[in-house]
Amino acid sequence: MKFSLQTLLNVEGNGYGLLNVRIFGWILYGLTRRDVLVPSEILRQMIRIGVQALPMASLVALSVGFILAMQSSTELGKLGANSFIPDLVSLSLMRELGPLLIAIIVVGRSGSAVAAEIGTMKVNEEIEALRVMAIPPVRYLVIPRYIALMIMLPCLTIFGNCVGLAGGWAVCASTLGMTTSFFIEHAVHRPELWDLYSGLIKSVVFAHILITTACYQGLSVEGGADGVGRATTNAVVYAILWIIIADALLTGLFFFVL
Amino acid sequence: MKSTTSTSKNPPSDIILEVKNLVQVYGKRPVLNGINFQVRKGETFVIMGGSGCGKTTLLRILIGAQRPTSGSVHIFGEDITTASPQELDRIRLRFGMNFQFGALFQSMTVGENIALPLQEHSQVDPSLIEMVVKMKLELVGLTGFENFKPSEISGGMRKRVGLARALALDPELLFSDEPTSGLDPVMTAVVDQLTLDSTRKIGVTAVVVSHDMTSCFRIATRMLMLGSGSRQGEIVAEGTPAEIKANPDPFLQQFIRGEADGPIPFRLSQDDYLKHLLGDG
Repeated sequence: MKFSLQTLLNVEGNGYGLLNVRIFGWILYGLTRRDVLVPSEILRQMIRIGVQALPMASLVALSVGFILAMQSSTELGKLGANSFIPDLVSLSLMRELGPLLIAIIVVGRSGSAVAAEIGTMKVNEEIEALRVMAIPPVRYLVIPRYIALMIMLPCLTIFGNCVGLAGGWAVCASTLGMTTSFFIEHAVHRPELWDLYSGLIKSVVFAHILITTACYQGLSVEGGADGVGRATTNAVVYAILWIIIADALLTGLFFFVL
Repeated sequence: MKSTTSTSKNPPSDIILEVKNLVQVYGKRPVLNGINFQVRKGETFVIMGGSGCGKTTLLRILIGAQRPTSGSVHIFGEDITTASPQELDRIRLRFGMNFQFGALFQSMTVGENIALPLQEHSQVDPSLIEMVVKMKLELVGLTGFENFKPSEISGGMRKRVGLARALALDPELLFSDEPTSGLDPVMTAVVDQLTLDSTRKIGVTAVVVSHDMTSCFRIATRMLMLGSGSRQGEIVAEGTPAEIKANPDPFLQQFIRGEADGPIPFRLSQDDYLKHLLGDG
């Protein structure tokens, strides 16, 4: 096993695929050695990438809850089906909008920051300094961020779902006269566990796309400030693009194939 | 991966660094063309040359950051040009690199920068690491600056912190890239003295890349000059500071004296200029 892991870690080259191979290799290697995965650094990144994104994620989730409830009330009201609004808000958030919008917010906030930070380190020769000190940049810089986001994005998604539901409840309670117990009965008890799990699986996939894209763009920076700017833009654009494509594929897989 | 070599078994005892037939070509342009030299234990070997002569390329190859087009670089008897990343990391633990602008981690304090290689590569207690950091800072005259961020100290201080970090693991070999560029004369003398202290007091072998002549002659035990222009990629001269000063090569003498007129071109030749204007060159 050690030989195969060393082979994975020592593959030369700088492509996106190789970055994924190295991440996979380091995480496996980290399971066998205590000094590879540093809990304090992972925790620091969880706070920077995840916890500090809470206010923005909350605001977006709350707004989406409002919007979903208000938009659906105008149409469902015509059919006399306002009682389905909690179900619609809940299912939309859990399956689709929660994971997707939170991921997009985190791309804009933390993905761009990671790409810019690593890119600036590359320009300032800090990445080169790590290599010369025999500290693999992927292990030292990418792995803590990767693990942090793989934990924090699903957490943020669950949190966003709750805040979004609160937004939907606020609209239903204030304008449609819906009782809180009725809202909870429909919004929380009606969806199946798979609806929640499918959203969380999506958020894990989105986290992988987000952080690998951001780190790859940062590590690929050439030149000076313009290179960092380009990498930051590319990180956001490509991450959002691939997240939406992955979302379409996963939705098809979860609800039409399986 | 090719293993590092039979030479590792019995390296000549005092040769720390050996460069053989080193060639680096960018496109069709040879930047280094058959470079050969050796650095022995305890020497301060200065590599000098004008802008664009390939000093930085040579240094990047020496530290294993770049693979040459051909040729070999043996450090401690092991060929780093064919070493696997794992083998390269093992060799890198035995040398330190002082970057031109320090390459300090901006998100860390000065103390954390120096502590990083110790935390990564030694099993010592954190309190002992803290003590080593203080000792290294004392060595470069920056006692009490542990908690400063790199952005809060001057360029000269950053260079000294870079030197302290490079010396953190007590390397046998120290590479320095333009350690005095951009410094005032007093700070240049301070950094030179630190390099001398490292070699004379600690016994480190130093390879310094510089084009600061005053500094080069102050610290060097041996020097090498890389050519540029018509002599791009070749070694113009190699020897002790006295031999370099006495060498009559006009290319070398122009560089040492810092004269504008001489064989070192700063403009294209008449023929090349004509070709450039006509779009042929």
